[in-house]
Amino acid sequence: MESMIFEELQNAVIEGDSEKSVSLAKNALEAGIPPLDVITNGLAKGVKTVGDLFSEGQVFLVELILAGDAMKAGMSVLLPVIKESKAEMISAGKVMIGTVQGDIHSIGKDIVGTLLEADGFEVLNVGEDVQSETFMEKVKEHKPDVLGLSSLLTVTMPAQKDVIEKLKASGLRGDVKVIVGGAPTTQEWADEIGADGWAGDAVSAVSLVKQLIKG
Amino acid sequence: MYRLLGRGEISAVHTAAMEVLERIGVVIQHDAALKKLADAGATVDDKTKVVKIPEYMVHDALQKSPRRHKLIARNPKYNIVIGDGDSYFTNAFGAHYTIDLETGERRLSTIKDLEEFTLLADYFQTVDYIKPNILPQDVPKSVWEQEMALAMFKSAEKHLSLVALTPEGWRDVIEMAKIYAGGEDEFIKNPSIIDTGFNNVPPLKYTREIIDMVLECAKYRIPFDISTGLLSSASGPVTLAGTIVQGIAENHAIVVLAQLIGPGTPIMWGSCATILDQRYGTAAYGSPENGLIHAAFCQMAHYYGLPYYGAAGVIDSKVPDQQAAYENTMNVLLATVSGADVVHDAVYGIVEAGVTASYEMFAISNDICGAIKRISKGIQVTPETLAVDIIETVGHEKNHLNTPEALKFTKKHLLEEQWQPLISNRTSRPEWEKRGSKTIEDVAREKVKEILLTHKIEPLDKKMESAMRKLIEDRTKKTKSN
Ligand code: B12
Repeated sequence: MESMIFEELQNAVIEGDSEKSVSLAKNALEAGIPPLDVITNGLAKGVKTVGDLFSEGQVFLVELILAGDAMKAGMSVLLPVIKESKAEMISAGKVMIGTVQGDIHSIGKDIVGTLLEADGFEVLNVGEDVQSETFMEKVKEHKPDVLGLSSLLTVTMPAQKDVIEKLKASGLRGDVKVIVGGAPTTQEWADEIGADGWAGDAVSAVSLVKQLIKG
Repeated sequence: MYRLLGRGEISAVHTAAMEVLERIGVVIQHDAALKKLADAGATVDDKTKVVKIPEYMVHDALQKSPRRHKLIARNPKYNIVIGDGDSYFTNAFGAHYTIDLETGERRLSTIKDLEEFTLLADYFQTVDYIKPNILPQDVPKSVWEQEMALAMFKSAEKHLSLVALTPEGWRDVIEMAKIYAGGEDEFIKNPSIIDTGFNNVPPLKYTREIIDMVLECAKYRIPFDISTGLLSSASGPVTLAGTIVQGIAENHAIVVLAQLIGPGTPIMWGSCATILDQRYGTAAYGSPENGLIHAAFCQMAHYYGLPYYGAAGVIDSKVPDQQAAYENTMNVLLATVSGADVVHDAVYGIVEAGVTASYEMFAISNDICGAIKRISKGIQVTPETLAVDIIETVGHEKNHLNTPEALKFTKKHLLEEQWQPLISNRTSRPEWEKRGSKTIEDVAREKVKEILLTHKIEPLDKKMESAMRKLIEDRTKKTKSN
């Protein structure tokens, strides 16, 4: 019974069917399956499958995003119950991501965010043209494990450095790993500004975050 | 000429675009501009900054927007008229990295690269006016646009299109252009001695900085290109028809605004839109869809009586290889045969979609674009070129290499009939082997080195140069004291 519901949930997510995901999550709760198991063995597994296929170039971005949405839809049924029972939610980690001040390129960091979500990370996408000060406030408020800074313009790359400097100055640097990315950035640039990592595409960004959170 | 859309389709696209402008609107994050638009009849939401523009305002603006305009060069022999029926080609824009000509290593771009690419663009016959191929990483960002402008003023006699990234920097560049034009009065008379270009923020948005710089252009009537930068299936619809519809609404918002502020401001109306590759999540420029987008946009521009500016030749390949060559060829050709007035990013000295400059690719693309220009020139049909007399004289036994009349005829027409590539190999095999069995990349590298050593231009007037230098120094001082 359980394994059948898990499989159906996985399939709902893989197909990107949010409605089915919600109704199956409800069924699972009614059947008395612990909500954390529903997530781990059902929803999250489905998204992981799609994420892996995307990394291999086997599914399209749109399918990955729909799968993520279906997972979130299912989660919305489960989360209240989990909160009530005070069970520990095991998220893979919390990642905050945004594009730095003066830069409005959004697509790259959105894709990185989507793929991280698919891999079970809690992702806070703080948008584009984000001032360094705003990054500080949000880091204080949400305490992410990793902060991802995107920059696509030569003129805005220094803003990545600025955020790192400001984190240092306000004593927050030790609490959060900082990673950078965007077309003109490189590993050397990341090293130069004292970032904890760099990735050239979304798939490597996920491996990087995993590695940083483990280490 | 290639015509992708039928009449009914053009009209359907237009109607849909007008609906988007009137009913959905465009975000313009600039209060003064919004006020101007509201006064002229648009509906503005002060909170969301969405402006909804009725169709009659578009028609008014199109009336005022020139169908053709001049771009003036330091050397008048390079003056061109955009919209005169020819397709004019520019080089590529904006590489942060450069593949070093000597070492082959990918390294940060320098101001010297910018000078060299500009000098090459001056030399290459395919480049009709010049864009900043390089974004140099070895000059301070506080005077970035200014240093780039000076490097370009020094390195070419053709018309120059300069970077506008920040309102402050752009104002300085305009001051430098006044020096270049020979004084304020001269510049006011001939503001098209320079031009620049802008993108929107798709979907349907413009930032305050972009609008500031557009207004500055309109004030002086400096020509500019405006091109939607949407990516189908990411910042615009996956359907190519919908992509065109959204792009028209985005571009038209700027036409309306600019013609309100500075009636008659020349606008090159265009697109650097393409698709987002859904497998890798990358912007795919060397795609056939990109070419189709240009073909359709170009027809729409001409329907509106505007010159079309298409960023067509962008290359996704990471090195100047076979993929680079066919990507460049396919879309420059399609844009050209569709009648694009400006084929931007045509002579493409960059790989990796705008990120890494390649000297070799520049020379290769020069040959590709030379061939495409030849195709676009077409075949001349006159009683003389039909050549019946010569065919008769040569008859059945002789040929065109051993008949005096035919030799004379060939000599007379050769240069207008046959295009001569600069580096493409057409020798016999033994000859190719004798010359070292070189690949096109090797030949391109050698050719570039030779041009850089030998191509000389009329130097920039010393007084002008030092006046510009002083302007940059003053700005540096001001930045420091702040
Ligand atoms: C689409 C695009 C735009 C669109 C952006 C739409 C949007 N909503 O995002 C528009 C048209 C608005 C635009 C505007 C401009 N653009 Co633009 N744009 C591009 C383009 C063609 C593609 C960018 C893109 O979305 N790629 C697809 C995504 C998925 O890739 P990506 O962003 O690189 O992200 C991947 C990786 O880099 C990495 N990654 C990204 N972020 C992060 C973050 C972290 C933490 C990590 C780990 C990894 C990571 O993972 C991502 C997924 O694989 C690039 C060219 C290019 N080849 O990059 C130029 C480019 C970036 N733009 C450029 C320029 C100059 C501009 C403008 C200044 C033009 C102008 N004069 O108006 C303005 C900028 C305005 C501003 N203030 O920001 C230049 C930058 C040159 C430079 N080095 O400074 C480029 C390189 C093109 C060029 N040569 O002209 N642009």
